[in-house]
Amino acid sequence: MTKWRRFLLWATLLLLVALTLFSIYGAFIGAQRAQAFFGSVPLAVYWFGLVLLLMAGFQAFRRLRTAPSSFCIHAGCIAILIGGLWGSGTGRDLQNRWLGRSIIPDGRMALVNGQQDNRVYLEQDANEIRELPFTLGLDRFRMEYYPGKLHVQDNQSQQVWTFPVEPNAVYDLGKPHGHVHIAGVYENFKINIEEDPNGGRQVQAYDDPGPGSNPALAIQTHSDPTPQYVFERHSGHATAGSPLVFQYRKGMISDYISEIKILQQGEVVAQKDIEVNHPLYYGGYHFYQSSYGQDSRSGQMYTVLSVVPYTGLYWVYLGYILLCGGVAWHCWFFSIRRILKQEVQHGS
Amino acid sequence: MAVKMTHQGLLIYITMGAYLAALVLTLARRPRAGLGLFGLGFLAGLAAFIYRWVQVAHWPMQNLFEVFVTLGMLCFPISILCRRYLRIGGQAGDMLIGIILLFPAGFVFKAEPQQLPPALQSPLFAPHVAVYMISYVLMAKATLCAAAQLLQRKPKDNLLPPESATYVMVCLGFPFLTLGLILGSWWGKLAWGNYWGWDPKELWSLVSWLAYLGYFHFRYMFGTRKANLNSVWAVTGMVFIVITLLWVNLSKLFPGLHNYATS
Repeated sequence: MTKWRRFLLWATLLLLVALTLFSIYGAFIGAQRAQAFFGSVPLAVYWFGLVLLLMAGFQAFRRLRTAPSSFCIHAGCIAILIGGLWGSGTGRDLQNRWLGRSIIPDGRMALVNGQQDNRVYLEQDANEIRELPFTLGLDRFRMEYYPGKLHVQDNQSQQVWTFPVEPNAVYDLGKPHGHVHIAGVYENFKINIEEDPNGGRQVQAYDDPGPGSNPALAIQTHSDPTPQYVFERHSGHATAGSPLVFQYRKGMISDYISEIKILQQGEVVAQKDIEVNHPLYYGGYHFYQSSYGQDSRSGQMYTVLSVVPYTGLYWVYLGYILLCGGVAWHCWFFSIRRILKQEVQHGS
Repeated sequence: MAVKMTHQGLLIYITMGAYLAALVLTLARRPRAGLGLFGLGFLAGLAAFIYRWVQVAHWPMQNLFEVFVTLGMLCFPISILCRRYLRIGGQAGDMLIGIILLFPAGFVFKAEPQQLPPALQSPLFAPHVAVYMISYVLMAKATLCAAAQLLQRKPKDNLLPPESATYVMVCLGFPFLTLGLILGSWWGKLAWGNYWGWDPKELWSLVSWLAYLGYFHFRYMFGTRKANLNSVWAVTGMVFIVITLLWVNLSKLFPGLHNYATS
């Protein structure tokens, strides 16, 4: 092996060990600091060095050019590194400066129901705002939940039943308790008290659509058909004379959905329900369901969308395909076969 | 630690018992009986996996309990594949790996079913975790072969020598490790907007991958002349895999987006 090839191999090994150590260090300092570390100037020199090394490998080792699997593996690594550098914060800054582009860095948008906006608050500095060349409008933000659970415990026999919460469901607790009927499911339980003409009071339970959350169930048992209310916030509802204790656990959130439309010059040009794992792609940007909140003054729910430009992304995806295909081909169809053939020949 | 007095727990204990009996019989030079019990243990493990799948109504690899049940179940088919088609022995070691993997599932990790949070509701969830599980068992077997090399064990019959067996196992597992890393990156892009978020889990997964990449380059440079050092590379890779799978999920040192796996 020539000195130059030996040097390249040792340099590769050294850079791999270095990247391993950098990654271990990055794992201990947290994602934000790791991102800053790997995007710093010394590491930028490292990344360029790695790309140059891979390119030099193509020149020095004929096999990397002629064997398809080896070519794919190493070309895939180059493509991933180029895509990563091109799509990095520094890469985008350079594109804006040298190529006259106006790529907005990673940021977030917050929208309440019915609001239209094109302002993006940057991740690197939340006080810095950039404007998209089009507008996003939120028709509605909603959350979906898994079915809740009603737990019933008999304090005498210690038997426990768990039932999924479904409106109007009837479940049998066996003798002597009979059945339990879920008469109503409330997201924000409130009561309305009205004086009636006879001097009495009428109490009416209802689900308040306004801001707030007070999950509750209305249940009726075999022994007492009067509706009883079980609140999620107050565990262990019991009635005097009955050994049964009820507990309600609302289902966890199963999905967050932002019904978004894209407007350009007042016209709707795209529409999508953005959910986690189902982003919207438009105009060189990806919009992701990131978070949500409630405005403390108006009580309105708002959605928070992440805005990410897709610069360099296709280079990275190309690199992934080449790397994955190359590795599988090389390992499964070349290396293993070669070893088994060698061992057979050695044995014979 | 607690014994699970449930149908799920019973299936896991049957699997462990069968693997343990298989190991004892194999060490007592009754390999065919051991293999039979190993297969029975696999069926019980498969039943445990399917039971959990039906119970949670989604792919059962959300938390460490489910992951370790799956890992324990995979030991038998991988052992058979290696023996039949790749001439790699070490069946007793595979049984031992199975027992070790099922122990935390049977006695340590909580088994309460959990609903899938929105981020895990993706068609990439199953393939991403599954290929990682397959690669982990393959690399664990590679580690056993590497240990056999370091202990200077001679292969039986017409089986591959330990150094070659280690290389073949790493070749078998590395594409799965690569695919797992790439699928995770793709999924991260769809879920969070970043194909690489420098999350501790991602970085440790990269470290595991780099360790085996280094193994390949080192072996390319020195061949089998430095067989013991090759084996040390392979064992180091497994150490990083254990850190990625356990330490990152269980330790408060590494808060990040991959907290779903904590039991």
